[in-house]
Amino acid sequence: MATYGLLIDYEYCTNCGSCQVTCKEEHAYPVGKTGIKVLSDGPWKIDDEHWNWNYFPVLTDLCDLCATRTAGGREPMCVHHCLSNIITYGPVEELAKKLDEKPKQFLMVPQFNPIAAKGEFVPSGKQKHRAAHIEVQGTGKASYAVHRHDTKVGEIDETDELGE
Amino acid sequence: MSEDEFYKKAEVVKLDTLSDVNDIGKPWRYEEDGLTVTRTSPWSPPGCHPVGCGLKLYVNDEGRLVKVEGDENNPVTQGRLCPRCIALKDYIYNPARLLHPMKRDPKDRGNADAWEQVTWDEAFDIIKKEYDRITAAYGRESIVVFAGTGREGGTFAPYGTMCFGTPNFCYTQSGYACYTPRLAAIAYIAGTTYPEWDYAGALPGRWDDDRYELTECLVVWGKAPLESNPDGFFGHAVIDAMRRGTRLIVIDPRVNWLATRADIHLQLRAGTDTAMGMAWLNIIINEDLYDHDFVEYWCYGFEQLAERVQEMPPEKAAEICDVPVEKIYAAARMYAQAKPAAIQWGLAADQKTDGMQNGQVTVDLMAITGNLDVPGGQILPGTGAGHNESGFGFEKGVGEDLQKKMIGLDQYPAYCMIILNAHADLMLHALETGDPYPIKMGFYAGNNLMSCTSMEPKRWHDAIVKSLEFCIGFDTFMNPSIEASCDIFLPLSTVAEREGTVFTHYAPCTVTAGFMHKAIEVGETMTDFELCYELGRRLRPEVWEEFDTAKEFMEALRLGRREQGKYFDEVSKNVVCQIPVDYYKYERGEMRQDGQPGFATPTGRVELWSTAFNQFGDDPLPYFLEPEFGPANPELMKEYPYILTTGARTTAFFHSEHRQIAYLRELNPDPIVEINPKVAKDLGITDGQWVRMWSPFGECVEKARITETVDEKTIHAQHAWWFPEEDGSEPNLYGNFRSNINNLLPNDHYGKLGFGAPNKCLVCNIEPVSESYDTDMDLIWEKFGKLV
Repeated sequence: MATYGLLIDYEYCTNCGSCQVTCKEEHAYPVGKTGIKVLSDGPWKIDDEHWNWNYFPVLTDLCDLCATRTAGGREPMCVHHCLSNIITYGPVEELAKKLDEKPKQFLMVPQFNPIAAKGEFVPSGKQKHRAAHIEVQGTGKASYAVHRHDTKVGEIDETDELGE
Repeated sequence: MSEDEFYKKAEVVKLDTLSDVNDIGKPWRYEEDGLTVTRTSPWSPPGCHPVGCGLKLYVNDEGRLVKVEGDENNPVTQGRLCPRCIALKDYIYNPARLLHPMKRDPKDRGNADAWEQVTWDEAFDIIKKEYDRITAAYGRESIVVFAGTGREGGTFAPYGTMCFGTPNFCYTQSGYACYTPRLAAIAYIAGTTYPEWDYAGALPGRWDDDRYELTECLVVWGKAPLESNPDGFFGHAVIDAMRRGTRLIVIDPRVNWLATRADIHLQLRAGTDTAMGMAWLNIIINEDLYDHDFVEYWCYGFEQLAERVQEMPPEKAAEICDVPVEKIYAAARMYAQAKPAAIQWGLAADQKTDGMQNGQVTVDLMAITGNLDVPGGQILPGTGAGHNESGFGFEKGVGEDLQKKMIGLDQYPAYCMIILNAHADLMLHALETGDPYPIKMGFYAGNNLMSCTSMEPKRWHDAIVKSLEFCIGFDTFMNPSIEASCDIFLPLSTVAEREGTVFTHYAPCTVTAGFMHKAIEVGETMTDFELCYELGRRLRPEVWEEFDTAKEFMEALRLGRREQGKYFDEVSKNVVCQIPVDYYKYERGEMRQDGQPGFATPTGRVELWSTAFNQFGDDPLPYFLEPEFGPANPELMKEYPYILTTGARTTAFFHSEHRQIAYLRELNPDPIVEINPKVAKDLGITDGQWVRMWSPFGECVEKARITETVDEKTIHAQHAWWFPEEDGSEPNLYGNFRSNINNLLPNDHYGKLGFGAPNKCLVCNIEPVSESYDTDMDLIWEKFGKLV
């Protein structure tokens, strides 16, 4: 199955907030949570004439690409309502071609609640090695603070305790 | 052209990002997945300019609005929506929304807990009793209807003329420094109304229509269209044009987002725009870059204008505006040589004492470069445009004797006559002093003046509370103005609960006309038409005999028809219509009632030497006035070293509205003041710290954003802040005066014709404070997040 994502032409993101508000309305996310958020860099001056000031609508771990809508063939809400019309939904393969067409774009594939997406922890139950049945002889001595096996810092003879 | 052609269904233009599964071609109402979907084209409330963006309202079988989506069938918005309509549900079902009439004993004014729910009948009875008592004692002129901005109710002149019968409909911003000065400038100079940039909004097929020519150069002058959707213009049409190749010049003291994308940004000192405009005229005339044919055949007074602008060489303007002179030359040449070119002139034009002159130089520039009424230039409304809202019912409802009593009419006819409004500043004096006569009763028409549209708002507050014996508020939510001064509250319907129309630019330049359809009913609310009609009939039945229903009144006022609402029902099914546009109308007699070629001015031409200005006693030619509060007064600058500019908009709010909408408040939780990093360093202000600002007129606190969007001499502060989550009773009054930047702005500094006010070019000082007033978003969510 094709992987879907959003192609964002951030050259024209004006930070209007429509993507965030419509995402929250669609998913009923409370204050403080959202599936898309506009980040910013700038304004700062590149030189006397020119400014760097970009907004980046980025997808959070609560973006499900509006699964219910897209299942019915519609586009995600942020795509629908974006005032600058700069968000495109589609298979990554197609979006990658569009990404090639002009600069100042990025392509993003979100994962909804990635920890949850991994699923519950399920032990594999596979045990590759069985403990071997081999008789063992004691050394009779307990060592401590031994950093190297040839540097004996101390040694306690436990032979009596062991009662051999 | 017949009116039927006006209201034809607009042709859809599909966005490339829209899926193939969509609602293009759906009727105005349809069923989908058990929901009833109503397509509508909203105006207000919530407050907004009349853009009429396409909306689809999804209602379940219990009659509840469950979802709002942008309508792909609107040729301008094409399914796109700004956050305020996306969150419409949160406005409608907000726990703070008021849905029933209430009364309060006048001695309890300012007590938020003293309201008592009443029936509409009881409310009307109280109003009728007070109306009769007050008009018998003081006359109908003692009633003031406070006009607002944006909302339909805010400019609903029939409240004054037909409902209360007073000549004193009054927008209370000093010098009416909002839109009307620009309208007046073009009306007096060129005999037409608002010359909007041609963004192909009215052309079927939009940008690809054969008649359209892409604007080569768009000048965005003192305007933030992306955030404000000014006067009905869909702001992001600027982005649509940029993506097609339109290049920008931005003239603004602030580095806004568009400015950073412009070929040239003239970051002028706030309030010096008229000097800049005169310098552009100087360059364009002296370098022979003007349209000779248009000037020769269609303009009047070019020689005098050419002579006048010699007084403003670019080098002088560069000094006044604090902009490098070579940038001024480059911008003027770029604008003059681009074909077509257009200017989007914003609110900043009005907000200076020489606001009318700023308007004048702008119209002069549009004219001498030959960009009036050309594709991709400025579209001009022809004779058929607009509707006579302010004049509707004026003769009959007010009467000849009372008309003459309109406050300010004698002193400022150029102001009062063009908008049929009492003069704002003189109304304040009347409220304060009872001169020329006492003002005793008030009505807020879509207005919250103490938070937003009045300068020195505490002065207005005190004058209103003291002077008015009776006052009525009509709104969706409680607000500080109503809480402080009203005795009756009436609940207002939102766009989802009403029928109606929406014409871009309030009709003076209609690009699209839209229709509102009622999708839901909530509480016992009324629309402006219903209240004006129902209350009007109760107060003055003789004025209303000709209308059997509020809908007939609406049909007559908005559509010029009297067909018992049937005509409205018919055309409203189209939801949105593109009003046919035509170019070069002045060549064909379509700009004048007499059908003759030319413009509707005394000379028949665009009057670069204005006979109207001259007649009203102003200079017929443009002149620059140095801002009174600024570097021209070095003594003042010692105490108030920064230039204060205010009012830039955000998408989160419409002026003082929307502070209760949690998702919107989250976008902009606190009132923000922008301060340059160098200034912040000098004053020891850190990013996010609260600061106190003060001017000769008052003070307030806002939260600092340290940013290079303003230069080292300029401070920009957000406006219209109040805090609905706080105690509403006096003296706190929802924190209305704490972060109210209007505290720092004066009244009484308007221009010669009564228009213009220095609201965007004041001075202030600023210091850090140790307190924090940060909004607690958890509290907002708790208080307003749970819909009812």
